[in-house]
This record gives sequence, C-alpha cells and structure tokens, in this order.
Amino acid sequence: MIFSAYQTHIFILIFIYIILVVSLNLALGYTGLLNLGHVAFFGIGAYTSALLALEGLTYIAAMIAAGLFASVFGYLLVIATDRLRGDYLAMATLGFSFVVYSLLLNLRDVTRGAMGIPGIPKPTILDFTIRTNDQYLIFVLLVCAISVFIMYRIVNSPFGKLLEATRDNAVCLRVLGKNTLSLKYKAMMISAFFAGISGSLYAHYITFIDPTSFYISELILVLTIVIVGGLGSIKGSIVATALIIYIPEVLRMLDLPSSVLGPARQAIYAVILITILMIRPKGLFGKVDLE
Amino acid sequence: MSLLAQSIINGLITGSIYALVAAGYSLIYSTNNFMHFAHGISVVAAGYMVYWLFTLAGTPFYATCLITILLSALFGLAMYRLIYLPLQRRGSSNVILLIASIGILIFFQNIIQIAFGSGVKLIGYIEVSRGIAFPGGITMTVLQIVILLISGIIFIMLYQFMQKTKLGRNMRAVSNNKELASIVGIDHIRISDFSFLIGSALAGVAGILVALEQNLSPLMGTNLMIKGFTGAVIGGINYVPGSIIGSFVLGMAENLGILVLPSGYKDAIAFSLLFLFLLFKPNGILGKKEGRFDK
Amino acid sequence: MILSCRDIHKSFGGIRAIDGCTFTVEKKRITAIIGPNGSGKTTMFNVISKLIKPDSGTIDFNGRDVTGLKDYELARLGISRTFQDVKLFQNLTIREHLQIAMSDSNEKLLSSIIKGKNRDSQNIQEVMDLVGLDKTFDTYATDLSYGQRKLLDLAIAIAKPHSLLMLDEPVAGVNPRLRSSIKEILRELNSRGESILLIEHDMNFVMDLVDHIFVMDAGRVIAEGAPQEIQNNPCVLEAYLGGSEEESECWK
Repeated sequence: MIFSAYQTHIFILIFIYIILVVSLNLALGYTGLLNLGHVAFFGIGAYTSALLALEGLTYIAAMIAAGLFASVFGYLLVIATDRLRGDYLAMATLGFSFVVYSLLLNLRDVTRGAMGIPGIPKPTILDFTIRTNDQYLIFVLLVCAISVFIMYRIVNSPFGKLLEATRDNAVCLRVLGKNTLSLKYKAMMISAFFAGISGSLYAHYITFIDPTSFYISELILVLTIVIVGGLGSIKGSIVATALIIYIPEVLRMLDLPSSVLGPARQAIYAVILITILMIRPKGLFGKVDLE
Repeated sequence: MSLLAQSIINGLITGSIYALVAAGYSLIYSTNNFMHFAHGISVVAAGYMVYWLFTLAGTPFYATCLITILLSALFGLAMYRLIYLPLQRRGSSNVILLIASIGILIFFQNIIQIAFGSGVKLIGYIEVSRGIAFPGGITMTVLQIVILLISGIIFIMLYQFMQKTKLGRNMRAVSNNKELASIVGIDHIRISDFSFLIGSALAGVAGILVALEQNLSPLMGTNLMIKGFTGAVIGGINYVPGSIIGSFVLGMAENLGILVLPSGYKDAIAFSLLFLFLLFKPNGILGKKEGRFDK
Repeated sequence: MILSCRDIHKSFGGIRAIDGCTFTVEKKRITAIIGPNGSGKTTMFNVISKLIKPDSGTIDFNGRDVTGLKDYELARLGISRTFQDVKLFQNLTIREHLQIAMSDSNEKLLSSIIKGKNRDSQNIQEVMDLVGLDKTFDTYATDLSYGQRKLLDLAIAIAKPHSLLMLDEPVAGVNPRLRSSIKEILRELNSRGESILLIEHDMNFVMDLVDHIFVMDAGRVIAEGAPQEIQNNPCVLEAYLGGSEEESECWK
C-alpha cells in the first residue's frame, strides 16, 4: 500500500471525475454544445450499470451498457434542443437534468426512488473480483487512461476538427457540405457515453446511489472544473479535476463536523466558479469563450 | 366533486406562491435579459430571515416582515452590483451570467445549511394556520386566504406600477428595446438596480409566505426557482403578467395532475412542462414574439 | 446553364427583400450580380445556398431541381461560396481549414480516430499558391489580417469540390493591390473552366472582368447583359442614383 486509505479514496474520485469532466469538455469546449445537463448522463450511467449488475450482468457489459444508454439520451437531447440558442438552450439542458432527476426519484419500481440502490456489487472482471480500494484505484486508472486517450484521439482527428469548426462557425461548415446536426449529436453521444462510463465507475465504487448524487450541486462541481481547466483543453480538465477535488480537503485539517464539511465544500466550489468567471473566464488552459 | 374543488383551490394557492417568485424573476429577466437563477435563493433567504427574527429572536411578526422584505431587496441589489454588473462590464455572455447565478444559488444554499443545519424548520406562527371550512367541502387555512389576498393585491400594485409610474414605464421601455431606451436617455443601470430591488422584494414576500405555509429547508431554493421559472416560461418569460398567469397554470397542473398520478409526480409534472415549453413554445402562451430565442 | 432561379420571393416581416427575382447563370462564365445597397443581392445568395428558405420560387442547379434541399446537401452537389464578412473557424489553422474543405463528406468517426491527423500537404500547397496566400499552414485563422482572411476564405471555396463558385463581394474592404491580384485569380480560375457567380457593389471592378451582369434593385433583376450594355443602360444609372419608380420605363 503506497497511499493512505483516504488518499486512495481521493485518487479514485479524481480519476472518475476526469472521465466525466473531459467528456463534458468534449461537448461544451470542443463542439460548443452548451450542456448544463451533463450530470444527468452521469446519473443514467450509474443507475443503468447498478441495476444491470444487480440483475447479474457481468461488470464490463453493464459498464458498456451504461455508456450506450446514456448516449441514447445524448442523441435525443441534441435532436430535441437543436432549435434553441443561448440561455434558452442552457435552461432546456438544465431542465433535462431535472426531468431525469425526477424520473429517478419517481420511477420507484425501477429505481427505488429516494431510498436509492444499496449493495451495488464491486466489479468482477474475468473471474477476478475487485475488492480493495487499491485494486479499484488501478482499475479506474486504467479505464480513465483508455477513455481519455480515446477522447484525445477524437478531438485531434479530422473528425475532431469538424467538431471545433462546428463550434466556431456552423453556418460556414454547412456551406462546405457538412451536416452539423449529425456532428453535434455524434459529439453529444460520445460525451454522454463517457459520462455514463464514469457514472458506472462511481456507482460500483460507492456501492450506493440515490438521485441526490446527480443533481444541481454535482453539476456545479463538474462545470467549475471544466471552466477552471479551460474550454477546449483536455490537459486543463485533468489538472483542474485534481486541483478542485483536492482543494477542499484542506478543510479536513480544520476538524469540522461532517454536517458542515459537505456544505462548506460545495460553497467553496461555488466561490471558485464565480471567481474564475469574474477573473479569468478562459480558465487555466482554455482557448475559447462560452458563446 | 369536493376533491376537485379542493384541488383547484390548492392549485390557486400553490400558483400564487409560484407567481410571486415568477413575477420578480420575470421583472428582472425582462429588464436585464439574463437568467437570474439565484432568485430562488432570495426566497429561501427571506424564509430563514423570518425564522431567525421571528421564531428564534422573538421580533414582532410585522416588524419581521418589514425587515425581511427590505433586506431581500438589498440582497438582490447586492447580487446585481457585486456579481452581475462586473461580469457584464467585462463582456460576459448571458450563459456565463446564468452559470454564475447558479453558483450564487449553490453558495448561499450551503451557507444557510451551515448556519441553520440541513433539517427542516418550522416558523410556528400558529394563529394563521387555523382551518376554515367552506361550503362544498373545501377547507382553507387563514394563512392560505391571506396568501391569495396578498398575492392578488401585489399583482395589481405591480401592474399599476408598471403602467402608471414613470419608473415602471422606463422599465418596460428598457425591456422592449435597450438601445432605443438608452438613446432617449434612460439609464439602464439605474433601471436594473430598481428591477433587482423590486424583484427581490417580491421574492422576500414570497419567502415569508412560503416560510409560513411550508417547512423551511435550505435545499428548497432550486425547486422554487424551477417552479417560478417554469411558470414564467409557460406564460412568457419576458412579460410579467404572462409569467404570473403561467404560474397559476402550473399550480393548477400540479394539483390537478396528482389527482391521476402519484403525488410524488408533482415535481415531474413541472419539470416536464418546463422542458416541453422550452422546446416547443419558448416564448410562452402570452410572451412577446420578439423574445431573444431566435437571435 | 448551371444555375437558374425562377420567381423567388422572400419577405422579412413586412419587408419584401426578394420580390420575384429570376435569372440564369451560364457555365464557364464569370457572372456578376450588381446593385445598390439593400437591393437583395446577399439575400439572394443566401437563398441560393439554402441558408434562407424562400417564400416561393424554384431553383435549378446543374439541371436538377434543388429547391427542397438542405444547405449542406446542396453544398455537396457542388456549390462553393464565400461570405461578405469572413468569419472562418477562429481556432483552426490554415491547414485544418483546407482539409475540412477538401473532404467531401462528414469524416467517418472510427477511421478518423484510428488514422489520426491528416498530414497531406500537396493539394493545400496548390490552392495556397493559386490564391497567393504566403503563410505557414499552421497559422491560426485569428492570426491573419483581414486581407489574408479574405484570401483564405477564397482558398476554402476553391478547395471545396464544386462546379459553381459563388463569391459575395470578394474585394470589399481590401487594398487596391490585393484587389487587382484577386481579379487575376478569378481570371485564372475562369480560364481553367470555372463557373463563377459574384456579387459586387463596385461597377468598375466587374466591368473588365465579367462576361455577364445582372442588375438587381428592390429585390428583382432590372437589367441584364454584357458589361458594355449595362454601362449604357439608363435604368441602371437610375437604380444607382435613385429615381422614382413610377416614372421609370424600367419597371414595365
């Protein structure tokens, strides 16, 4: 054991969030798809994977299914909101996450509502069950590396350049014969897929999920990280995830009661978000502005 | 039959609280053209102010109300002057302002949670929660009657203010055409100041009524904001009377909807209405065509 | 005949921007649409390239009715166009712009990820030489001057597979030297057999360049012909200098 149990826990969260944040950056930063509903994909992935695994599906299959199911919602979201612009689009995507939240809360026969889903099994891969957090750390590191590598290849490929062109000037791109709607939904589907994967990793790590894990405070965390890291920069997203997940840990030295620790962490995220918007909206490594 | 009548009455009461939230929100939106999502936290902060002053400190009730409304108004102004205006001055887009306002909401929600704890709080102003039976099997508390009366009076006053006073007319001018308004010499920052003052004072009123009618919880701001926002979108977000009517429609839809659906679906009804209206009728049923949706 | 527009109408609110516009563009010629400000030239361009949906009228391109197509579908059939206010893709390099223009459909996602960056420079060099844009391929669009952006915009339109080149004010706002070099580029393209349709505000620029001119005013074509005919046409002068509609014989 190299790290303390607590550090291992933080590292696992960081790798899970790196996937989530980079996937949001792919849609928001690279493609310019304003999406305030990204945590909904995270939640859909977590629930899909947890429920399927509880039904006896092998972990890898459940994880892939989580990604695919989330990307179906990504497709629907783009098709439905294509006519909207600016803050109406922002509100519609935010509204989408509220709809998903209330479905998780109310489809009790499937999701058990507010009671949440306990006892989510730890992943088993080829007869090897991941039991300790150290093993889980290696596993998420691996999945995170593969996911980020794929997304890195995507944004640096000719296809990725089309995504950036969509963000910069969609009209000009259509005049060049490219179907920007199809580019948009493909980007959103990829983004949702990896958000779903990270949701699955989250669910099987914590082993308990309920709808409140996928609501507006979670959204603030993810948005803060993406904006601090910078839109259109994978490197920025990775650095910012590590930073932002780590910063509030200094609070633990103050020996605050846990009822204060949680809200204080949230408040710090909010302050970081507002500060970065006021001082340096392009973030650490960003190159583009929010439209 | 009495169940239906009671649901309609409940719809009106819920609707009038949503409408108070929506009216202030929509007033701010129409003059400033960005989404002040943190409006929801103004309502909650006002509710906790009542709890603190009245329940904990024992301040007389009417003095509590007065102080709360005043502080709410100043709270709104402070958000505009300290956060939104500096952001606008550095050329931030509306989306940035919206994200900042979500940040403000989350920040104060957690500050309230740290200060008062996450448990629900009761105001305990018992005199107003006495039920009165009406013919037709309808029951209303004194407070609910007061809510209907107060919101009705406020809406009439707001309408008169917007139509009859110079400030109100200037606000409508800015809301219709900011460039033109500034050409004819209307200082839009001053107008924005007043829209935040008045809009947030309305949030203060809503907060007091919510505090008396429901239990207080730090997390209720998001929900109230979505409800007020949904009402505004249904009626037409850039048109204050529209958003008031839209809020009543929402209150009705929720209370009539749970006659056929499980009561947990109350929020789902609102969220779905919000999503559907944004997709298919983003200017609302009464909103003006020249909304900013097409730009 | 490569492009033919028949009886196009388009109103914005109560304003008739295009009011029964009809014209036909011939192959392998340089055709110009001229006309005063607000006569509907750019609107007509946007209607042809499907960025604006007309209220009525039909458009044929290469003998095919394209009225119902989407903007990108029409572009794939072979229409290239530039914009009056060049915006480009701010965060992409010259190379990336031209690669996007040259690929004729959406990139296939999977093969795109596996192959990675496309480093082919041969065709890019040719287009750059043609327009005379002397910049390294890795220069970002934001780092170009206005004139250079204008040239890059032209290069993109040329690089995109096309049979008709539509240029919206190709020399607006550029210095005289660049102006004459753009003129030479267009002549060179035409000598290679390109069909070009351009909008120009300035009659002097088009007079010794183009084969055929359409004059637009108030949303319709009021005169057409070879440059010499147009120069001597009283209606055209009137449209430019402004006269009352009723007195004019041009409105019959």
